Amino acid sequence: MQRHLTITPSPHVRDRASTKNIMQEVCLALAPAGIASVILFGAAALKLICFSVLTCVLTEYLYQLITGHKSTVGDWSAVVTGLMLAYNLPATAPWWIPVVGGVIAILLVKQMFGGIGSNFMNPALTARAVLFISWGGLVASYPNTVYCGGVDTISSATPLALMAADPSQVKFMDLLLGNVPGILGETCKIALLLGGAYLIIRQIIDWRIPACFIGTVFVLYLLTSGFNFELAVKEIFAGGLMLGAFFMATDYATCPLSRKGRILMGLGCGIFTFVIRAYANYPEGTSFAILFMNVLTPLIDRYTMPKCFGEVKKHA
Amino acid sequence: MLKKDTFLGAFLNGLIYENPTFTLMLGMCPTLGITTAAMNGVGMGLATTVVLVFSNLFISMLRNIIPDKVRIPSYIVIIASFVTMIDLLMQAFLPSLRAALGTYIQLIVVNCIIFARAESFAAKNPPIQAIGDGLGMGLGFTWAITLLSCIRELIGSGSIFGFRLMPEAYQPMAIMNQVPGGFITLGILLILVNMIKAAIGRHNQARKEELA
Amino acid sequence: MFGARLFPGGIHPREGLNGKAENSGNPIQELPAVSRVIIPLSQHIGAPATATVKKGDHVLMGQVIGEAAGFVSAPVHASVSGTVVEVGNCKLASGATVPAVTIDNDFQDEWVELHPSEHPENLTAEEAQQIIRNAGIVGMGGATFPTQVKLTPGAGKSIEKLIINGAECEPYLTADHRLMLEHTGEIVDGVRLLMLAFGVKEAVIGVEDNKKDAISALTDACSGVEGLRVQALPVRYPQGGEKQLIYAITKREVPVGGLPIDVGCVVLNVGTVFACDQAIRMGIPLVRRVTTVGGLVNNPGNFLVRIGTPVKALFEACGGTLPSCKQLISGGPMMGISFKDTDCPVTKGTSGILALGKESIYPEETSCIRCARCLDACPMRLAPSRMDSYIRHERYDDAEKAGVMNCIECGACTYVCPAKRLLTQSFRMGKKVINTRKKAAAAKAAAEAAQLAAEKAANEKEKKEA
Repeated sequence: MQRHLTITPSPHVRDRASTKNIMQEVCLALAPAGIASVILFGAAALKLICFSVLTCVLTEYLYQLITGHKSTVGDWSAVVTGLMLAYNLPATAPWWIPVVGGVIAILLVKQMFGGIGSNFMNPALTARAVLFISWGGLVASYPNTVYCGGVDTISSATPLALMAADPSQVKFMDLLLGNVPGILGETCKIALLLGGAYLIIRQIIDWRIPACFIGTVFVLYLLTSGFNFELAVKEIFAGGLMLGAFFMATDYATCPLSRKGRILMGLGCGIFTFVIRAYANYPEGTSFAILFMNVLTPLIDRYTMPKCFGEVKKHA
Repeated sequence: MLKKDTFLGAFLNGLIYENPTFTLMLGMCPTLGITTAAMNGVGMGLATTVVLVFSNLFISMLRNIIPDKVRIPSYIVIIASFVTMIDLLMQAFLPSLRAALGTYIQLIVVNCIIFARAESFAAKNPPIQAIGDGLGMGLGFTWAITLLSCIRELIGSGSIFGFRLMPEAYQPMAIMNQVPGGFITLGILLILVNMIKAAIGRHNQARKEELA
Repeated sequence: MFGARLFPGGIHPREGLNGKAENSGNPIQELPAVSRVIIPLSQHIGAPATATVKKGDHVLMGQVIGEAAGFVSAPVHASVSGTVVEVGNCKLASGATVPAVTIDNDFQDEWVELHPSEHPENLTAEEAQQIIRNAGIVGMGGATFPTQVKLTPGAGKSIEKLIINGAECEPYLTADHRLMLEHTGEIVDGVRLLMLAFGVKEAVIGVEDNKKDAISALTDACSGVEGLRVQALPVRYPQGGEKQLIYAITKREVPVGGLPIDVGCVVLNVGTVFACDQAIRMGIPLVRRVTTVGGLVNNPGNFLVRIGTPVKALFEACGGTLPSCKQLISGGPMMGISFKDTDCPVTKGTSGILALGKESIYPEETSCIRCARCLDACPMRLAPSRMDSYIRHERYDDAEKAGVMNCIECGACTYVCPAKRLLTQSFRMGKKVINTRKKAAAAKAAAEAAQLAAEKAANEKEKKEA
């Protein structure tokens, strides 16, 4: 019997949760939005998702093979990145867009900064930003859904643009179900809410970030529109806000550690999203707002570290 | 180890071992700013080289005359004179290149490479070595930023020195023509350079151990 | 809900086979004496006791075999009557080699003359301290800090509140639970005697809410005692941590680097109080304790064990370990020590002996994903992932600033870490390095000061001579 015994320092029991479990659950939470995108945009959506996920996983595998690092493909984090990248692309994007994006996300943003947990910006969003700047015509176009004009037709106006003119032009049910022009993952709000709720209930993401993020945008629209409730509600249901708030801003590696810091993260994302949406040239500000707050994360972390138990008392 | 107090030693030092871009990380402003086309890299590099050689030479010759307390203003006067000459010459003979490089030519005055070499080398060494150092550093800078701009031009515009190399279907990656592209390319090049250096270091170490 | 405030963080560790639920129904059985006991002379924090017997001596049960060596120390008593066969060393479960006395049992169980207190209800603080010290009582929750030292507040401090720790928050352990059920009267009596002796007006017995039967039994027993009450505590590890318990009951935070007495509290384990009651009422020193045997064993149970009994006797009494057992633990699974050698003796601090399966084997460590679960779990409100990164990069000053010295090593962060980082382990090492450096720095400063003084003296001497 004694031969099989081991000696290890305490603690001797561990929680079942592992990086792999967490990433798999995130994939599960992302699944409804993916299914919705295939229903809304057809096979083109499926093609982009496949290319994106495959590229991400393959890039990670090859990089680690070449550099002789231990492979972390098994932890599913590359799959999450791949899904998020695909959800940020329009259905009309050519196949090589997710491939280039996947390489940028995994190689440039994730692996070169030290792999999982060490990237300073959200890989999928950074890749999207690079693609957006490089091939604006291909990435920043918003096709109609199959139920509303067909994917081949590029919409001249996204719900956000329409709403800027007159909020009553956009039907709330269309926003909720996703029957509006937009990128793959962002349109179907029901699917996103479902996934987000799952992650919050499973305590995989901190509710503070999405709550503060969406809340801030809502309040700012309410205030600046002279308490136009309809506009404010539709604004939070339009564009990539939900996708960003539940899945992108909550990315572990690039959001602050402490609860206080996460509230700040949500607030900051909300403010910048609002500013870009309402006053800047870009139609949508969620991804740039999140990227900006990603870069601020170390600073927020620095000033929001919790005070040690008993420390407050001492100074009082 | 390389002797820096000979002409050749100082030249090679700047060209390779202490390359201003890849090792000293000096002159980052033009490195990121103008390297969108290969021609810009060559032009900027050569202009800097000329200024560097002459400023090194003059500062070296005057090194025992310039009082220590006013050396920085003196260097600026010397460097600015040569930059003005280059600027005017380029405006006269290479107007298109001058237009592409724009204000970066005038900004050579405050280029860290020139200052750093004046302060750390030319002010302490005789003229011959100073010329070697200026030439090495200048050409080291030139090849480094030319390499950088070739890569950026190829990806960002599909060509090198204006010759289209990429197939017709290639859609240029516009971010490479902007500053983020410069950062990304420089970062990747630095990784490669450091990897090569580390490999050489390991090789030398192994040889030393073999000998010992 | 409980009237108790919840400390920050905390976790709900999972249990395997024969955990609290299965084992808390098993009454305490007396483990039959074994033929040979090995009694370590260092079963407490502080200086080891010095042996007072030699090979061949005949000793009686309860006889002092090791004398306390200093203020922070405790005497050790024989747990059987018989002949001393060796005064040498033994290995503890922790792997440390300590001096020990080996006694061959004559199975007569002949006690030394016991001296019960003549006026247990009118003891002075000094008398009580003396009785507790002489009985060799140490913290029986596992920390083994000599109890009379805790009950000796420094100048200018007084014990306002006595907090009795019946939380037993570690998974698997049920010894305190059984003790509270089966010796309710003695525990309440012990608290009352301590309150009288130390002039404490208020005492609270804190029990985790998963021991409802113990709570009701204690509440009934307490009803006649003024100033004594039982408080149900939320079930959350580490509820039994001193600072966490004080916070839950008094809402006071023990200051950083401070002791419970700084907020007027003294925390004693229920087992310790029981031992105090035995010592005062009957004069019995600490020679036995209740230990849980749980996990992957055939018949788990709670045993009254003589100190010095080899743990293999406990496993035999439980019908042996199951084949799936991969690790043996002395103490609880969160803070206990794993061991291989079943010859090591049960000591005053052995709250449990567990056999765990493959869940106790370390999974492979992977990169931190910054999920911040460790921050949410830390009962000291520290940032484990950050301190870990500092320590691994040998940035010990930063780690100290981040508060690593306040870590109570409860293991909650390591438990929750999805990347399976060895956080607690890294903090233990970091604390050790920081302490060593501090000592070295202090020694260096002292040496420099001495040298400076010497030079100064020499200079003055020169001046005078000149």
